[in-house]
Amino acid sequence: MAGRFFPAALMARRNLTRTKMRSLLASLGIVIGVVAIASLGMFGVALQYSFTQNLGNVGNQLTVYPNSGENITELTERDMRTIRREASPTATVSPVKTRVEPVSYNREDAVRETIYGIENPGELYEAKEGRVSPFRSGALVGSSVAETHDLHPGSQITINGTSVRIRAVLEEGDAFSSTNPDNRVIVPATSFSQSGYSEAYVIESTGTQANETAMGIRDSLNDREQRVFVQELGSLVDTIEEQFQIINTVLAGIASISLLVAGISILNVMLMSTVERREEIGVLRAVGYQKRDVLKVMLMEATLLGFLGGIAGVILSLGAGLAINHYAVGDAMAVFRLPNAWYVGAAFAFGVLTSIVSGLYPAWKAASEEPVDALRG
Amino acid sequence: MTVIDAQGLVKRYRTGGQTLYALAGIDFALEAGEFVSIMGPSGSGKTTLLNILGLLDTPTEGTVLLEGQDVTGLGDSKRTALRKRTIGFVFQHFYLLPTLTAVENVEVPLLLDSDPQVKKRARTLLERLGLGERLDHKPDELSGGQKQRVAIARSLINSPKVVLADEPTGNLDSETGRQILDEFRRIADEDDVAIVAVTHDDLVNEYVDRTVHLVDGTIGRERKNGG
Ligand SMILES: Nc1ncnc2c1ncn2[C@@H]1O[C@H](COP(=O)(O)OP(=O)(O)OP(=O)(O)O)[C@@H](O)[C@H]1O
Ligand SMILES: [Mg+2]
Repeated sequence: MAGRFFPAALMARRNLTRTKMRSLLASLGIVIGVVAIASLGMFGVALQYSFTQNLGNVGNQLTVYPNSGENITELTERDMRTIRREASPTATVSPVKTRVEPVSYNREDAVRETIYGIENPGELYEAKEGRVSPFRSGALVGSSVAETHDLHPGSQITINGTSVRIRAVLEEGDAFSSTNPDNRVIVPATSFSQSGYSEAYVIESTGTQANETAMGIRDSLNDREQRVFVQELGSLVDTIEEQFQIINTVLAGIASISLLVAGISILNVMLMSTVERREEIGVLRAVGYQKRDVLKVMLMEATLLGFLGGIAGVILSLGAGLAINHYAVGDAMAVFRLPNAWYVGAAFAFGVLTSIVSGLYPAWKAASEEPVDALRG
Repeated sequence: MTVIDAQGLVKRYRTGGQTLYALAGIDFALEAGEFVSIMGPSGSGKTTLLNILGLLDTPTEGTVLLEGQDVTGLGDSKRTALRKRTIGFVFQHFYLLPTLTAVENVEVPLLLDSDPQVKKRARTLLERLGLGERLDHKPDELSGGQKQRVAIARSLINSPKVVLADEPTGNLDSETGRQILDEFRRIADEDDVAIVAVTHDDLVNEYVDRTVHLVDGTIGRERKNGG
């Protein structure tokens, strides 16, 4: 087969060199299209990668909320017992109370803020400064709160008119976790008068275990009415990754428009060339070239244009990829990851394909011209 | 041996309600090794006849036998295959591919076959036609006569039974024209190839076996050369 295509390739190559500038411009369109698709794809991959890096390890966390839509405003002790029963023995189950109170830092005006009541914060958080456990009085603050108001262990804040001592400043949490304490003020649960809980955190050892527990909790608590919502961060992460997938696809789609334009310019070049070479093609047909032979020679030209543009495009894309990954991920070599190879490969394939498809009509037109008509001039 | 036997050829064109007879009933037979010229005023149907004999075109009426085989009703692909096997074409404007060298141009009809013998044969043909020094030149580096000799070599690459030439000397001065006609004569005599040349050029008639005169799509008087 390669042997049969080689002479066609010889003719095609010579024909392209006949109008070098025109061929160059036509494949430049393909170059741009391939670079656009590949680098937008790689840009998406880099975004996603840096996102997952920031996301941290949240796949094993669950948050259980009462369903306020059914007029259930809090989780009861019974609910908590059920949650504990459904969770695996090694899981951390942490009920949380909340209330909104006026809080004032450093004798500034009081602002109404949500105060979190957690019985055993040592299970969830580590201290950056000070000590988390034992926790019987005082308050814990997240790192952002501490930074904004310049708080340290021993500082005083005022909650609902009562002066409270800061016990510890907590380590930063994962950005997307619902347990993230960075912006929170936490006090002992015993200081709350209400008996119900506004949410509960369950931290399992693995994501799969978290998923099983979530299903168990839903089965037990929601069998008659939808009492609670169970939010799985794992599935949230999945959702976000799906979103990224969509963004990537849309970006690649936009980039494909440039390939469409490239295709049209190749169509144009090939059409011009079939008009200019009408007689030559007539001669080929006269000396015994079948329609499919002419088709083959013409399509070979389109394919060569596509390959030329595609290869140049891939080389340029790799350069662009190095830059993108250098700035977005901080590691230029991250360009050599598998999804990038996929995008670059797909861009190349689309480039060549576009070129061939654009060549189809002119090739068909050239092949189906009657040689008698072509030779009459 | 009769290579081509055409009987009752009619070619009608219908243009804008009018019917035009490009050929109005022509019988034409061609023997192997015969060199025949077709003359006639412009529009008399010379090219049309040549195209039908060369299986490029089909007659409206009549039959064409090629080496005894009826080829009248054949479809495009079969006619193309027959052209490739038995017929060579030479055109007034040479119609060489400007991107290919002389040898490559001669190879063109058989290029897609990837037969390694073809290149050697193309060289031999060009050397025979006195172009041994010009094998790797592109057409724009060749004179008109040299181009036409490349075109003749191309028409012979498939060892045809018939070579059809439409005004082969039309673009050449008379001296170069003579050289080309000498070649045709030699090919007809040495290779036993039948040659039909359409021409306006009386010079041609010094070389041919007979001349067919076409007038308005019919054959006029026929003149035999030398007896
Ligand atoms: N496709 C066509 N449609 C309509 N008429 C045609 C067509 N092809 C040829 N003709 C007509 O048929 C007649 C014969 O044409 P042809 O080309 O055979 O003439 P010719 O003898 O080769 O003339 P010339 O010496 O000028 O080349 C002409 O009147 C021409 O206009
Ligand atoms: Mg003519």
